[in-house]
Amino acid sequence: MRRMFLRRAGLALLLMLAATALTFALVTAAPGNVAALIAERAAGPGADGEMIARIADELGLNDPLPVRYVRWLGDTFTGDFGVSLRTGKPISEEFAERIPVTATLLAGGGMLALFYSLGLGLWGATSNGRFADRILHGIALIGASTPNFFVAALLVIVFAVGLGWIPSFGLYGWTSWILPCVTIALFPGSVLARVVRVNLQEAMARPFATTGFAKGMNRGEVLVREALPNIAIPYITTFGAQFTLMIIGAIVVERLFGLNGIGAFFIEAIRFRDFVGMQAVLTLFVVFFVSVNLFVDLVAMLVDPRLRRARRA
Amino acid sequence: MRFARLPWLVLTPALIFVFVGVFAPLLMTHDPAVQDYTAILQGPSTAHWLGTDYLGRDLWSRIVGGARTSLVAMAFVLVAALVIGVVIGSVAGYVGGLVETVLISLIDIALALPSLVIALALMGVFSGENFDWLSDYWKMVLALTLAWWANYARMSRAVVVAELQQPYIEAARVMGASHLWIFTRHILPHVLGLVVVYASADAGALVLAIATLSFLGLGVAPPTPEWGQMLVDGMSYIEEYPNLVIIPGLALTAVVVSFNLLGEAFALQKVPRALRGRLLGRKRAERKAEDQARVSVEGQA
Repeated sequence: MRRMFLRRAGLALLLMLAATALTFALVTAAPGNVAALIAERAAGPGADGEMIARIADELGLNDPLPVRYVRWLGDTFTGDFGVSLRTGKPISEEFAERIPVTATLLAGGGMLALFYSLGLGLWGATSNGRFADRILHGIALIGASTPNFFVAALLVIVFAVGLGWIPSFGLYGWTSWILPCVTIALFPGSVLARVVRVNLQEAMARPFATTGFAKGMNRGEVLVREALPNIAIPYITTFGAQFTLMIIGAIVVERLFGLNGIGAFFIEAIRFRDFVGMQAVLTLFVVFFVSVNLFVDLVAMLVDPRLRRARRA
Repeated sequence: MRFARLPWLVLTPALIFVFVGVFAPLLMTHDPAVQDYTAILQGPSTAHWLGTDYLGRDLWSRIVGGARTSLVAMAFVLVAALVIGVVIGSVAGYVGGLVETVLISLIDIALALPSLVIALALMGVFSGENFDWLSDYWKMVLALTLAWWANYARMSRAVVVAELQQPYIEAARVMGASHLWIFTRHILPHVLGLVVVYASADAGALVLAIATLSFLGLGVAPPTPEWGQMLVDGMSYIEEYPNLVIIPGLALTAVVVSFNLLGEAFALQKVPRALRGRLLGRKRAERKAEDQARVSVEGQA
């Protein structure tokens, strides 16, 4: 078990290094002369060749790429992501302000997706029948096909413009979080509801459920005590995958509702050719995705006694 | 959940999308880029079937033009990603050894981030001076292609590896068939059969990605009509003219729903049983869920 985990962790670390090396090569080398860009930002269009050369020299932009990557890696490990070409502030400061915003969004969205999927899936399983099945399938399909930004627009039309209950833009107290979180929860929630429904249905057809009925338990008891533990593994793995995909929802929603999170920073960095900022955000994303996947693998191993036993044997 | 009877109904939006995209120039009543300041933010009328936007541009023509924009970009990306993916996946699977290890690592890295995040990052890279010779539209097509090939590569490799273990490959080899012959005559048809079906199901995700990029201001540049961009433009007028948001949004949703249903129908019926598991293989868990959905669907039938 521990060896297995260490192996996975080692692979995850390698993947992080490889992915950051590739993004570093792409983002810092491919676009063109970053020194000229910095000089232009500092001195306007009149930046001369001498100034550009000096800046390139100061920042070590003339060194070979592997040297620059190792230097960048060392800086990043000490929490120094460099200075944003767009805002001129250290990126670590930007992150300190912005990570809480995106984290709140993801946490809120994740919780909503959890309640929504379990509620809908359990409802589908308790009212076993074609009707519930169709409704669930329809909701899941539409939820998984409607673009994030259209969902957000419809929510704004109904709740902010029509009913006037909630602000539609910016941050004014906790109600401002409702629409963004609902928006990004819809897609993962719909996919997860289907996972719950399908796996519960399958578990209810297994022998242990029949045993439960034979012992005199009613449908609800069998569902909760016998069938529910069996959906843990597919639910956790799908949840992990969907949770990482929610970052796309966050990028869209932050722009739409004017929230200053990591996603908004990423989009601004792209639009203003802030390659240092882009590299920092991409690194953050890689670390986030790979660690969530690793964590999900670990939890799956801890939760499932079958996997545990298989490792021990 | 019987799709055998449903497909023609559910496919209608996808078919309309393709039809409108192909015949867009004939269906437009106005030039979608022409601004008419005498007819700003009008409702539907005989002159403007769906009304006009904040610059007096005809909404119907822009919806039609948007269908063409999405369709063309989607077709380019799908074909290019498919070719790249099949080539890389086939080489990895057929050659094996160190080449396979290197290519698989590359695929794993490409799959470590969601495709859309990669596409966004590439749009950033392409904004640099070295890429000024590309127009925004082709930058978007290129970025999406480079973000999209990895799934096809992984799928192709899996099929190649599975086919190579079949006895008939050994038989062909014994009879003196060359590698090229074995690959093109025996293996490639299997790979293409699966990958093309997957691509038709993937079209919805791609239409969505194109719209999302444009929505974020990183896709198709303004004068060209595009649904995601129409939607974001309409957001400024959402209080008084929600139509500007709802119409492109509905068009987009209908097309994506339709393509997703097409993918589901394919996954459940059209693909040989042995290959079904791989068809849906984007994420392990999703695949497992779909497998089980299939079990229960088939159990009912």
